[in-house]
Amino acid sequence: MPATRLRSLQALGIFCGFAAGAWLGGAEAPIKLVNPDISPITVSLIMVFGVFLARWSVPALIRGTSHVRNDVRQAPHLIVWAVLAGCMWAVANTLTIYAIRNVGLSIAFPLWNTNSLLGIFWGFLLFNELHYAGWKRWLGVLGGAVCMFGGATLLAIASAHQAAPGKAAWGILAALGAGVLWGTMYIPYRKAYLTGMNPLSFITFFTVGELATMTMLAVTYRGATPLWHELVGARAVLFWLMLGGFVWVLGDLFQQYATKYVGISRGIPLSNTNQLWGLLWGILVFHELRGGSQAVYMQVAGGSLLMALGALAIALSSATAREHSSWQDAADREGQRYGVEDEYVRAGMEGRAYGSAVTRRTILDWLLILATTTLFAVLAAMAKLPHMDIALGWAAALTVAMLALLAFCGIALWRTTRFR
Amino acid sequence: MSPSKFDGSRNLFHAIATDIHFWIPFVVLLGGLFLLDKLR
Repeated sequence: MPATRLRSLQALGIFCGFAAGAWLGGAEAPIKLVNPDISPITVSLIMVFGVFLARWSVPALIRGTSHVRNDVRQAPHLIVWAVLAGCMWAVANTLTIYAIRNVGLSIAFPLWNTNSLLGIFWGFLLFNELHYAGWKRWLGVLGGAVCMFGGATLLAIASAHQAAPGKAAWGILAALGAGVLWGTMYIPYRKAYLTGMNPLSFITFFTVGELATMTMLAVTYRGATPLWHELVGARAVLFWLMLGGFVWVLGDLFQQYATKYVGISRGIPLSNTNQLWGLLWGILVFHELRGGSQAVYMQVAGGSLLMALGALAIALSSATAREHSSWQDAADREGQRYGVEDEYVRAGMEGRAYGSAVTRRTILDWLLILATTTLFAVLAAMAKLPHMDIALGWAAALTVAMLALLAFCGIALWRTTRFR
Repeated sequence: MSPSKFDGSRNLFHAIATDIHFWIPFVVLLGGLFLLDKLR
């Protein structure tokens, strides 16, 4: 790959990591509008349903779903990995609910944020990431991730609001379990992108595993009839929860592109800046720390600074040509094992077109987009805004910032890779 | 554009079943489900 192409793909991946943080963090905002009486499992299920709709309609809007068929023809084994990753996400997400309930957010959040350290480990061990990277880049990535972990700890302590110690050991295990699941979930991600799969194809199968697992967990834990009654009773907030899911998908899409172009060792820590954005929404829009002590504000300032410095260190440690060639070795190994065309793998890594087939949107794509839009419009008509003290000016400012990142990264992705 | 070189699903499943990259996430998933069951 030419050095200039490698540099632009690395820069693109890093921008995508930052955009992912903004959109994943912003997804928390609509959920804050929901009555806390609804069971967390049900909240998770409704959100995942919104995620499911978004994960089929957004790719249909961006490129059409016919390219998914082309990807599956080239690398059918990746369906298994995508579904597996979706199952892992759903189990990890449910574990976090128990972790917060048992030990509180301040302990739970930093524990599951260790996923980035595990991601660096798997990236190095299985996919040749950080090989021949030199000590400066090692220091940048590992030091940055540790810095972000410290910042996350401070922020979580400052924003803790529901610590309810009881079954502490189980809560810690649940949080660590979520971190291990999320950190390991990036193995299927990296596997898919090393063999050239388009992130838009990967997420369509990912979400099947996600929705199936979440439905199974919700029915098992709540019982089918009580769950149905709870869903009917929650119709006024369905829109907000599904909107949260939709926003989350846009963040996750950027995270997928970051993983594809800068690997998991850099992509995951950058996406973890979502905690910073979640905190911004909490403080500025929902007045969460109003009246807090000076110590709390110091923790927020220190934690934010540490996270920002960690993210900056990682962003400045992009892969060299030599490291990238070792990624290529890992990609060749995958291609040989699964009989994937060399040219398909190379084209995928370089974010360029493979073959001459032109994919267009079909009637099915337009039906998917229409059905999703109609469903969201109906739910929006039924939705009620709870009586809350919300700073609308700040909400608008943060939304504009997120949209600006969406536009900037979307255009960069289109220009550089045509969303490949 | 030619499809994957795999002749059939049997070869594909054999390749997946002998790939350590599959078993690591799979075992972690089972561990997560076990932990969830204990937490209920």
